[in-house]
Amino acid sequence: MERRELIRWLVATAGVQSIKALAPEDLLALGRDVHRHLPARRVNPTIAIAAERILPGATDANVGAFIDKMLTDWHTPEERERLLTGLRELDSHGNFLDKSEVDQIAILTALDESNADWFARLKYLTIYGYCTSEVGMRELKLWPLPWRYDGCAPV
Amino acid sequence: MTDFDAIVVGSGMTGGWAAKELTELGLRTLVLEAGRPIVPEQDYTEHKPPWEVPFRGLGDRRAVAARQSVQSHSASFDELSHVFWTDDADNPYSTPADRPFYWFRARQVGGKSIIWGRQVYRWSDLDFEANVRDGIAVDWPIRYADIAPWYDRVERFIGVSGQAEGLPHLPDGQFQPPMALNCVEQHVRQRIADTFGRARVLTIGRVANLTEAHNGRAPCHYCGPCQRGCITRSYFSSINATLPAAQATGRLTLRPFSIVTGLIASGNRVTGVHVIDAQTRAQRVYSARVIFLCASALESARILLNSGIGNSSGQVGRNVMDHIKWGGASGVFDGWTDRRTIGERPNGIYVPRFRNVTSRYPDFIRGYGFQGGAGRAGWHAALHAPGIGPALKARLTELGPWSMSFAGFGEMLPREENRATLHPTLVDAWGIPSLHIECRWSDNELAIHRDMNVTAAELLDAAGAKHIEPSTSGPSTPGGTNHEMGTARMGRDPKTSVLNGWNQSWDVPNLFVTDGAAMTSSGWQNPSLTYMALTARACHYAVEQLKRREL
Repeated sequence: MERRELIRWLVATAGVQSIKALAPEDLLALGRDVHRHLPARRVNPTIAIAAERILPGATDANVGAFIDKMLTDWHTPEERERLLTGLRELDSHGNFLDKSEVDQIAILTALDESNADWFARLKYLTIYGYCTSEVGMRELKLWPLPWRYDGCAPV
Repeated sequence: MTDFDAIVVGSGMTGGWAAKELTELGLRTLVLEAGRPIVPEQDYTEHKPPWEVPFRGLGDRRAVAARQSVQSHSASFDELSHVFWTDDADNPYSTPADRPFYWFRARQVGGKSIIWGRQVYRWSDLDFEANVRDGIAVDWPIRYADIAPWYDRVERFIGVSGQAEGLPHLPDGQFQPPMALNCVEQHVRQRIADTFGRARVLTIGRVANLTEAHNGRAPCHYCGPCQRGCITRSYFSSINATLPAAQATGRLTLRPFSIVTGLIASGNRVTGVHVIDAQTRAQRVYSARVIFLCASALESARILLNSGIGNSSGQVGRNVMDHIKWGGASGVFDGWTDRRTIGERPNGIYVPRFRNVTSRYPDFIRGYGFQGGAGRAGWHAALHAPGIGPALKARLTELGPWSMSFAGFGEMLPREENRATLHPTLVDAWGIPSLHIECRWSDNELAIHRDMNVTAAELLDAAGAKHIEPSTSGPSTPGGTNHEMGTARMGRDPKTSVLNGWNQSWDVPNLFVTDGAAMTSSGWQNPSLTYMALTARACHYAVEQLKRREL
């Protein structure tokens, strides 16, 4: 229903009575608007921010959605609970999301140095998700493929 | 009058060759494939970017656990290529609880030729004479001279890139230009030559990936995941090459979803096959003058056992062989820090067998070869790196030092007690009795596995590697190399073998078995090239016999 309501709203604000009255290019523009306004699948905001602090650029690469997918459909309930329990610890001295960036980095750095299992997993998923995303692969020059082999290329 | 001149059971590595040769020789040929048809434009996924794959290549863990817990152990099983393996729940088999055996199976047009490793090596008389020399099992009924022209024929058609080395025990073939060794591999090749002379040689792998255009197929473009298909037809599979050739004759009928439940015999001849339609379960019979089993070693044995045909020797299902692996070593090289590799070479290095070649090695008979390669770690090395933030991000583009690994593939001896039998009660989803497989390594294979660690470290040491680490893995699980063979062996005596020197059943002259089942010993080389050459040879023999009305 959200999508339909949004279309109704857009149609109303665009001053047209019916989508049928729109020219093809207007329809395309409307479609793009609809997608821009639709809420993305809700990602745990703590995961999203932690991922960005671990690897700057993770937000642009939508790493949070990948981690969410892995936690939902790949990990066992026990593995998922371990990671979520760890995330809740982030809030044990006040809401993590309310802290300054500097404080957030300090907390995550301490966790990294402590070799906490759950944090190592979060970090793994963040790096893996970034390096297999379109944004990440293009930035790391892993995509597009080179379509050739050179076994002794300059770095 | 029969429905067809020939029936070929299976459409993979050997079935495709039988289809091509028999149709080109004028036979109206029916190919029966148990699995689905494959449409390359829809079913090949080698260029799909990682971000379009749900788990980004980590696999659908829950689905795998539920339906493909055996198949997932294959080296070329991944989140996309998994569709080219069977469903373990529909296709059960059993083993003793303490003796696992991995039975990797592919049911689709193309069979395992879509997902094979593509390494192709000729055998020599070191291999064909091995059993009689060692007093093991039975003698091969053929020698290198019998198969050499067929190796030529197969290599010319499938397209093999490789480097001629002039080694008597690894005969050169019809090669396209070799793929390149990278800088460190070139260095290691030279240092091994300096240290061992011709006794140990490192060469680029001989691989059924094109480096030049061939018969309308494009050269390899180094995208990487061959196991997901190849829309440019740059590596050999039956879909990419042999089946189209058979189709072009106008004499091929290819029937997917056709599970052969058994052969029909009359006197000492087979007259046809029983088929269950995999989708509708309708049953029907096809008749032909000659029948080729190309269903894979264990499936062909299963068909024979379920039919009660061709087993007067009692050897059907026996002598299950694979290659033992997971021995070897890796090491790190200083230098070449200003160099890297670009592109994904679908191939590595090869070190052909050097044990028991010119002198007798005391710890075991037969031998092994090494595959492997050198490279530099990329972002994967950062997955467990310390630090967060910009420093961690910077590590993603840092290349690690050059490292190189050698992984051995060792010969397995034929032993009658390594055996597949019909399971008394277990059936597959179509009600067909399945197999119980008992297979274990002997002391000889285990000694080979131990030796791999030692000699791989020697090679690395000779090349100046540091931090040399022998493999810590125990022996692989039998079947795990996906080289299962031997279950309907060729031989010289009907009392001790299933097939004669033409892959022809001793008991039933118009029945041929030309997949891995026919192998009398396992060699140390990847076996598919030999299966294909034996198939082409058997097809020409069968057609000659038909023409002389001797079949």
